[in-house]
Amino acid sequence: MLFRVARSRSGEKISHYDLYKVDVKKGMTVLDALFQIQNYMDPSLSFRYSCRGAVCGSCAMLINKVPRLACRTQILELADTKVKLKPFLALTEAPLGWNPESEVLVEPLPNLPILKDLIVDMAPFFDALKQLELWVVPKEGTEPRKQSPEERKLIDRYVNCILCGLCYGSCPVNAEHKEYLGPAALAKSWRFYQDTRIEERERYLQAALAPNGAPLCDLVMNCVRVCPKDVAPGGAIRRIKQSGSS
Amino acid sequence: MYEYDAIVVGAGLSGLRVAIELAEHYEVAVLSKVHPLRSHSVAAQGGINAAMSENDSWESHAFDTVKGSDYLADQDVVEVLTKNAPLAVIENERWGTAFSRTEDGKIAQRPFGGAAFPRTCYAADRTGHNLLHTTYEQALRHGVQFFDEWFVTSLVRQGDRIGGVTALDIATGAIHGFAARAVVIATGGFGRVYGHSTNALINTGDGCAIALRAGVPLKDMEFVQFHPTTLYGSSILITEGARGEGGYLLNKDNERFMKRYAPDKMELAPRDIVARAIRTEVLEGRGFEGQYVHLDLRHLGAEKIKERLPGIREICMHFAGIDPIEEPIPVLPGQHYSMGGIDCNVHGETVLKGLYAVGEAACMSVHGANRLGGNSLLETLVFGRLVGQAVSKYLEAAPKPQAAPVDEAAFTVRQDLQHLLMHDRGETPAQLREIMQHVMDEMVGVFRTKKELETALREIRVVKKRFVNVSLGRSDERFNYALVRTLELRNMLDLAESIILGALSREESRGAHWRLDFPHRDDERFLKHTLITKTDDTFSVSYKDVNLGKFEVKERSY
Repeated sequence: MLFRVARSRSGEKISHYDLYKVDVKKGMTVLDALFQIQNYMDPSLSFRYSCRGAVCGSCAMLINKVPRLACRTQILELADTKVKLKPFLALTEAPLGWNPESEVLVEPLPNLPILKDLIVDMAPFFDALKQLELWVVPKEGTEPRKQSPEERKLIDRYVNCILCGLCYGSCPVNAEHKEYLGPAALAKSWRFYQDTRIEERERYLQAALAPNGAPLCDLVMNCVRVCPKDVAPGGAIRRIKQSGSS
Repeated sequence: MYEYDAIVVGAGLSGLRVAIELAEHYEVAVLSKVHPLRSHSVAAQGGINAAMSENDSWESHAFDTVKGSDYLADQDVVEVLTKNAPLAVIENERWGTAFSRTEDGKIAQRPFGGAAFPRTCYAADRTGHNLLHTTYEQALRHGVQFFDEWFVTSLVRQGDRIGGVTALDIATGAIHGFAARAVVIATGGFGRVYGHSTNALINTGDGCAIALRAGVPLKDMEFVQFHPTTLYGSSILITEGARGEGGYLLNKDNERFMKRYAPDKMELAPRDIVARAIRTEVLEGRGFEGQYVHLDLRHLGAEKIKERLPGIREICMHFAGIDPIEEPIPVLPGQHYSMGGIDCNVHGETVLKGLYAVGEAACMSVHGANRLGGNSLLETLVFGRLVGQAVSKYLEAAPKPQAAPVDEAAFTVRQDLQHLLMHDRGETPAQLREIMQHVMDEMVGVFRTKKELETALREIRVVKKRFVNVSLGRSDERFNYALVRTLELRNMLDLAESIILGALSREESRGAHWRLDFPHRDDERFLKHTLITKTDDTFSVSYKDVNLGKFEVKERSY
């Protein structure tokens, strides 16, 4: 199988694509293929990785024009996994010569500055956590708080977010507005706002309603379609918008 | 050159918890070769132990831990761990961790192997993920300074104490010196010495290796935990929680074979026993395709699987193409946890003044010859806080570090790396890594013999010789992961040698270390911790006593 991999030695933009012939076996993932390339064909190829089991979020990238985790993407099943997304430039502009039938196209995650090859600068993505102060300021005490299973369920899907950034890279609003906080940070705000254990929950909602937050969202829902953990940020943002306007 | 009061190496749960403790009063920086949220703590599934239910007690938790350790754990350290357990869990709950709940709103607890009570607090099967994200949020709140994607290359000695570290900024390829009065190693385990491992690809024991090279001994390295149930093919962890919730282990004759090995505890015997049972079934021809057994969850029903084990279901569907609601899971034992690590005491102090170790990188030792499930997350948070306090106290009187030794060390590392990068032709690092992992998988596994261990030692030493001529190929300075992975390999080769030496010298069977040629525990000779010291290129083995206490050393049966 041929892999067409975006390269960028000095960052900023994709400078060219390199073609590699990878020996693909059943069960092999795109991450496995990238290691085969780095180990035996081209040690200069850079990409991030860590858990290889879809829990850490390191290897978010654009594979066949869909933002995915490389470690969880089975190569032989790629042809059958179509994901319908609202298009923007990074998702529509294909490199010359790419044949989707016979080649896997691997590119950096869109909407974040490219540092080298498949590595993007995640700072704008993570900085939102600090901007919105997405943490609990604990009250003094030595007892665990109570929370019914039903209350716990309210936040279940949001606490599963691994902050991989796939939603951010799939979002047409992020593509256009650099200042937009993005789906993950807003979903996390909603997670805290919905957490019945926390006092002063209102601040998370207010933070999410900042001008560069929920109001910018067009409810396109690309984030919901690419999320590897069913967090569905779009649903949370919809509710944030509703709460803000009521 | 950078200067801090304290440097924490590693940003998993242990490192973050230490940093939080220090951040209020001291200048502290955390260096991590990945973003903190990509640390391996995120992958812990099953849970965190704490005696919190009515009839449970820290003494019972301590006894289970000591017995589980095959009496090799230091009982004073176990006492500290188990007494502080509820506090660690409650603190994280109050920070926001979304634990699973009982009907009356309490933190839910599930049964785990080797435990007398359902003592394992959990957040579905994503406990590590929840704890790590919460702890990271608190580190951000405290303004902890992070150096993400910095690879620490050496420890800097300043006479009899630590003076700082040198580190590679992966983004630029530059080597920098960090002067510090205290350094805490929290780099986690070294599972990637093995090929079949549940560990993240980044678990290469860098902190242990640089400590060893700085003259600090490693302890109990031969005790490598093989998790009984890893997914056939990718070796991804299938949590003990799956058995805690009632999963069965079946051989190809559809028999619950655990009745032969631990009739009372069955699937909930400690990990070493279950791992050996599965290996035995396979070796005696009762495995599927000669390699694995089945973990059957089907009788638990769709609802329970979806609620308690959603991550496991996801892993099975994405990495093995099966739905555990409908099909049994193919599993086999794989490397999982490193009981051994940097020799340190209950405060994390090592023989080098100002150098501390904590978490899986450390060997205090709370796990002895075999760790019980749910005790590792616990160790990170309990000792993260306590080691942080110890460092804090040390810093009150510790002298300022000198710049000169740090600068010199950075200079030496730069030279060393340039030398490494200059090799035009030679061995491919990936090939050497494959050989190392194959040797460890095949000869230093669940069952061991003198003959195999001697062969393994010989082969690892050959690989080390070949490493001298390793050639990385052409790359750029920026984000040179070929370089990072080669440095990791060099670290792992030292650790592999330490594991084999410890295993070869320990002529007994205890916990996870099982010698077919010495099938019994030998308290007379080996109720002791192994120490491995490296001087120049020579490794030496010595022993030190186990701290015994209230629990009498007895035969271990389940």
